[in-house]
Amino acid sequence: MTVDAAKLVRMAEQITANMAYTDDVELVAARVADHLNRFWDPRMRQAMAEVANGDADQLSPALKAAVRQLHGVAGEGAL
Amino acid sequence: MNLYYRVGAERDLGTPAVIANSAAKGGAGAAPTVNVEIDGRSVAVPEGISVMRAAALAGANIPKLCATEDLAAFGSCRLCLVTIEGRKGYPASCTTLVEEGMVVHTQTPRLAELRRNVMELYISDHPLDCLTCAANGDCELQDMAGAVGLRTVRYGYDGAHHLDKPKDESALYFSFDPAKCIVCSRCVRACEEQQGTYALTINGRGFDSEVVASQNDAFIDSECVSCGACVKACPTATLIEKSVIEHGQPESAVITTCAYCGVGCSFRAETQGGQLVRMVPNRDGHANHGHACVKGRFAFGYATHQDRITTPLVRDSIDDEWQAVGWDEAIRTAAERLQAIQARYGRKSIGGVTSSRCTNEEVYVVQKFVRAAAGNNNVDTCARVCHSPTGYGLKTTLGESAGTQNFDSVLEADVIMVIGANPTEAHPVFASAMKRRLHQGAGLIVVDPRAIDLVQSPHVRADYHLQLKPGANVAVINALAHAVIDEGLEDEAYIRARCDLEAYRIWRAFISEARNSPEATEALSGVPAAQVRAAARLYAGAGNGAIYYGLGVTEHSQGSTMVMGIANLAMATGNLGRPGVGVNPLRGQNNVQGACDMGSFPHELTGYRHLSDEATRRLFEAEWQVALDPEPGYRIPNMFDAAIGGEFKGLYVQGEDFAQSDPDTQHVYAALSAMECVIVQDLFLNETAKFAHVFLPGCSFLEKDGTFTNAERRISPVRKVIAPLSGMDEWDITCRLATAMGYEMRYSHPSEIMDEIARLTPTFRGVSYAKLAELGSIQWPCRDEASAGTPLMHVDEFVRGKGYFAPTPYVPTDERANARYPLLLTTGRVLSQYNVGAQTRRTGAVAYHREDILEIHPTDAQVRGIVDGSWVGLKSRAGETVLRAKVTERVQPGVLYTTFHHPESGANVITTDNSDWATNCPEYKVTAVQAYPVSRPSEWQEMFHRFTAAQQQLSEQALSEA
Amino acid sequence: MGDGAVAETAREIVERLVALEGPLLPILHAVQDQFGYLPPACVPVIAKGLNLSRAEVQGVISFYPLFRTQPPGRRIVAICRAEACQAVGGAALEAHAQSALGIGFGETSADGEVTLEPVFCLGNCACAPSMTVDGVLHARVDAKRFDELMG
Repeated sequence: MTVDAAKLVRMAEQITANMAYTDDVELVAARVADHLNRFWDPRMRQAMAEVANGDADQLSPALKAAVRQLHGVAGEGAL
Repeated sequence: MNLYYRVGAERDLGTPAVIANSAAKGGAGAAPTVNVEIDGRSVAVPEGISVMRAAALAGANIPKLCATEDLAAFGSCRLCLVTIEGRKGYPASCTTLVEEGMVVHTQTPRLAELRRNVMELYISDHPLDCLTCAANGDCELQDMAGAVGLRTVRYGYDGAHHLDKPKDESALYFSFDPAKCIVCSRCVRACEEQQGTYALTINGRGFDSEVVASQNDAFIDSECVSCGACVKACPTATLIEKSVIEHGQPESAVITTCAYCGVGCSFRAETQGGQLVRMVPNRDGHANHGHACVKGRFAFGYATHQDRITTPLVRDSIDDEWQAVGWDEAIRTAAERLQAIQARYGRKSIGGVTSSRCTNEEVYVVQKFVRAAAGNNNVDTCARVCHSPTGYGLKTTLGESAGTQNFDSVLEADVIMVIGANPTEAHPVFASAMKRRLHQGAGLIVVDPRAIDLVQSPHVRADYHLQLKPGANVAVINALAHAVIDEGLEDEAYIRARCDLEAYRIWRAFISEARNSPEATEALSGVPAAQVRAAARLYAGAGNGAIYYGLGVTEHSQGSTMVMGIANLAMATGNLGRPGVGVNPLRGQNNVQGACDMGSFPHELTGYRHLSDEATRRLFEAEWQVALDPEPGYRIPNMFDAAIGGEFKGLYVQGEDFAQSDPDTQHVYAALSAMECVIVQDLFLNETAKFAHVFLPGCSFLEKDGTFTNAERRISPVRKVIAPLSGMDEWDITCRLATAMGYEMRYSHPSEIMDEIARLTPTFRGVSYAKLAELGSIQWPCRDEASAGTPLMHVDEFVRGKGYFAPTPYVPTDERANARYPLLLTTGRVLSQYNVGAQTRRTGAVAYHREDILEIHPTDAQVRGIVDGSWVGLKSRAGETVLRAKVTERVQPGVLYTTFHHPESGANVITTDNSDWATNCPEYKVTAVQAYPVSRPSEWQEMFHRFTAAQQQLSEQALSEA
Repeated sequence: MGDGAVAETAREIVERLVALEGPLLPILHAVQDQFGYLPPACVPVIAKGLNLSRAEVQGVISFYPLFRTQPPGRRIVAICRAEACQAVGGAALEAHAQSALGIGFGETSADGEVTLEPVFCLGNCACAPSMTVDGVLHARVDAKRFDELMG
C-alpha cells in the first residue's frame, strides 16, 4: 500500500460527511462515488477499494456503499 | 505580426466622461447627445459633459491646470475661462456643462489677457529652473506658460514666495518638492476620489496654503499608501517618480498588464531605450481606469534585481553545488532524468505544476507537455491552494468556474457584502472602485473574523460587521439564507424562471431546518442572531445585492460548500445576471484565472471540460496527434503524498514556490526531498529551488509577450518591454523540453499558441492577438469572431441552464480549538507585499513590511505575559514557529492573525494538512494553536537559516561564473 | 499632558458631541477649550470618531486661525485689525503691542506669558480700538491702556 490509507479514508469520509445533507444512504453513496470517479486518480481509488476489501466496517455506511461504485478498480462492482 | 506596440502620450480631455447607468433609459450605446458650437465648429457631444471636454472632443484644447479627466472638475486655477454667447463674464469651461445650442469661444484677446495674468501670478512664485528640473518636457505649467504666450512677469521675483520649502524625499518611490507646488489640489483630489484614502490635505489658507500629508507628516509616516495617483495627477515636478529624477523623461511606452494581483491593471511601461523608467496606470485600462497600487506602480525592481538567475543550473543531488550550463545541456539533462524516472517507476511517476503568474500561453504549453509528452494527467496549479473551491462551487451551482460580473458592476450595487476578503490590502484598485460606490451610499456588510479596514476607515463604515469565529463560515451563510427564506424575502419569480425547481425544493427544506437558523448557529459562530437577520434583510431587500469573496471563503475544509452557499443566497434573492449584482471571487494571482482556464487540472482540459468527455478528448487528440489518458491524475497534495509513498519521483515546477506557500512545510520538505528530479523554472533561487536538481531561469512579465486573465475573466495583453534576460522565452523552454522528451512542440510566436487554444476551446474561439490589439482586452466567453466578449454572465440563463441549489450542511472542521491548542490562527496579506514576497521583498517596498507580525488580542496577550513587540512562540499539531507580536483589538479574543510574506516566519510550518473536501484546497484560515512568550527562534527557524545558508553556498560558484 | 490622557479626553468629547449635525467644529472647539490648544494626539481620535482621515481634520484645524496647535501663553491677547479699529489708531496699537511684548502676531513671548493674536472684528466698532485679554473685551485701548492691562 503506497498511498497513505488512513489519509485517503479521512479524505473520503470528509467528502461523505459533506454530501450527507439527507439520510438517504444510497443517494449520498451515489454522489460520493461520482465525486471520487471524477476527481481521484485511479490509484487512489484502487487504494480505497483495497481498504474496503480489507475491513469495510471501518468505513461509514454511505462510504462503504460508494466504494462499491468506483470505476477502474480491480474487482469493480464485486465488492 | 507587429511585435512592437508603442503608444504615444495619453490625451487628457480635462473632465470625466459621463458613465451612462446601464439601467437607465436606452441601454448600451444610447447615450443622449447635445449639439454645441465650439470656435465656429459644430459638434454633437454626450449630454452631461463639461464645455472643456466638449471642446477637447472638438479639437480645441482649452488651457487648464487644475483640471484632469481622472478627477471631478474643481474650478480653481481660472485658466480655462471661455466666453459663451448669451452669458455674461468668463465662465470656467471645466465646471460649465454643455447645453443644446450653446455657442462657445475658447480664444479671444480678452481671454488671452486673462490667462496670461493667471500664469503671471503662478510664475511669480515658482522656481525658474526648467532646464534642470525633472519635469522638463512633461510639465503642464511649462505647457501652459507656452500656450498662453507668457512673456514677462510684471511682479518681479522679490515678493513673498515658497521657493525655500524643503523637499520631502521620505516616500520610497517618489519625491515631494513643495517649492514647485501650484496648489491645484489635484493630488488631494486624486487621493480622495481615485484612491479613497484621503491622506492629503491643504494646510493653512490664502497665500500660505500648502499640500501636506496627514498632520503635516513626512509622506512615509502619513496615511499615504503610495499608490502614486497623486504623482500621476501632479502637473509639475512637485510629485514625481524618483526614477524619473534619476533617469530623465521616458521617450516611449508599451501597454502591458501588471503581474501582481487578480485586478490585472493595465499599465504604460514607459522606457528610455531598453530601460524601463516607470510604470504609469493606463487611463484606458478596462479593469483599472487609470489607477494602480504601490506594487504594480512602483515595485518592479525585482525584475532586474541582483538575485535574478539568468543561466540554467544543474546538479545531481540537493547537497551538491549547482553547475552553470547552457540551455541545450540543461534541457537535455532534465528530459533524460524525467524519462529515466518514467522508465523505472511508470508513466505516472512524474508531473508538472503550472504557474498562476505566467501567461496563458506559457501555462498552456506546460499542461500540454504533461499530457502529450509525459503522457499523464498529473498537472495542477496554484489555484489548488486558493480558489479551486470557486471552480468547484460555481461550476456546480451556476455552470461556470468563474466570477459573474466585471469590476465596473460594483458601481451599480446597492448593497455590497464582502466575505473573507480584504480588498483594501489585496485588491486595492478594486477596493477604490468599491469605495466610490460606498461613498454614494451603498450599504456594506463585512463578514470577517477580523476588523479589516473596510469595517471602518475614513468615509467607509460597514452597516454590519459579522465578526464570526474562524471555521464558522458555512454556519453563517446558512443562517443568512435561513433568515431570507424564514422571513419571506426570497425572489420567487426569479427562482421559478431561472432555477431548477426540484433542487430548490430540496434546498429550501434543508435550509429551513432549525439547525440552520441564526439562533441555532449563534453560539458556534459568535455572531448574534439579530445581526444575522438584519444583514440578511439588508442584502435581500436591496435592488442590487453583490457578494465579493476571497480566500477567507475558499481556504477552509468547507471552502467549496461555502462557495455554493454564496451562490445559493444570490440565486434565492435574484442577484445574478445583470450589472450591480453577482457572485464575485476576488482571484488573487495575476493569471490564476487563466491558469485554470488553460486546463491546469488533473481532471479537466481547457475551458473546464472534464477528461471523461469523449468529444473533448477527441478534439485534443486530433490537434495534438497523441492519445490522452482519460483518467484524472494527481493534485499537488496527492503528488506530495505519493512522493513520500515512493511512487512520484519527478516534478516540473513552473513559477510556484510550494516550500513557502503550501501548508505543513515539513511535509512539503519531505515530499520534495523524496523526489529524484525536481525542475524549477523561476526568476530566483526560491525556497523550492533548494530542493531542485535543475533550475531553468524564467522571465519576468516585462520580458514576455502573452496574455493574462484577471478576476473578471478579462484577457489582457502582456507585452515585452525588455528582452528576456535569460535569452530564452519561457514558452520556448517548455516546448524544447517536450521535444527533448520525444514530443515535438514548436511555435514561432505566442500568438500561435493562443490560436491553438482558441481552436480547442469554445469559450475562447473568438480570441486572437489581432482582436486583443483592437479591443484592448476581451472578457471570455468569446465564442466567435464577431464576439467582443462577455462582461456579464448568466444574463438570460445560467451556463448550466437552470441554476442549481446545492444543499450545504455545516460540517465543523477537525481543526477546533481545544485545551492543548486553545487559540485559532488565521492568515492574510498586506498591501505592500505580494504573497510569498518573492518579488516585493526584492524591491524597495520591503521597507513597508520587514517582517510578518502576529496580531493578538489584549486579553489573550495579557494572560500569557505577551507584550507588544515581544517574541511569541506558536505551536500547532503540525509544528512550531516564532513571530513578533502586535497587541491589537483588530482581532477578537481567541483569534490570532499573521501574514506569510517572509519565508523565515515559518507561517506554514504551523498550518496543517486539513483541506477542502472537494478540492483539497488547504485550510490555511483555521489552525488551532497555542501561543507563549519565547526568547529565541524556533528549532525549525534555526534549521531554516542553516539550510538557507548552505544552499546559498552551493550556488555561489555557479553564479559568480555566469 | 501625556498623549494617552489627551486621547482619552478627546474620546470623551467626541462621544458627547458626535451626534450633532456637523460635529467636527464643535468638537475641535471643545478640545481647545479643555487644553487651551489642539494637541496633535487628539487628531487621530477625532478622525476615527468621525470616520475622517487625519489629513482632513488637519486641514480644518489649519484653516481657522482661531485653532491653535501649540500651547498658548498664560494669557492670550487678541487685537482687532478690522477697518473700524484701523480708522481710529488700530495700527499704532498693534505696533506698540508688538514692541512692548517683543513678539509678532501669532507668537508667544519667550517666557510663555503672553500670546499675541490678530482678530478681525470684535463687533465693538463704536468703541474702537478694541482688544480682548483672555476673552474679556476691552474698548478704547491706546498704548497707555494697553500697558495697564498687561500689568
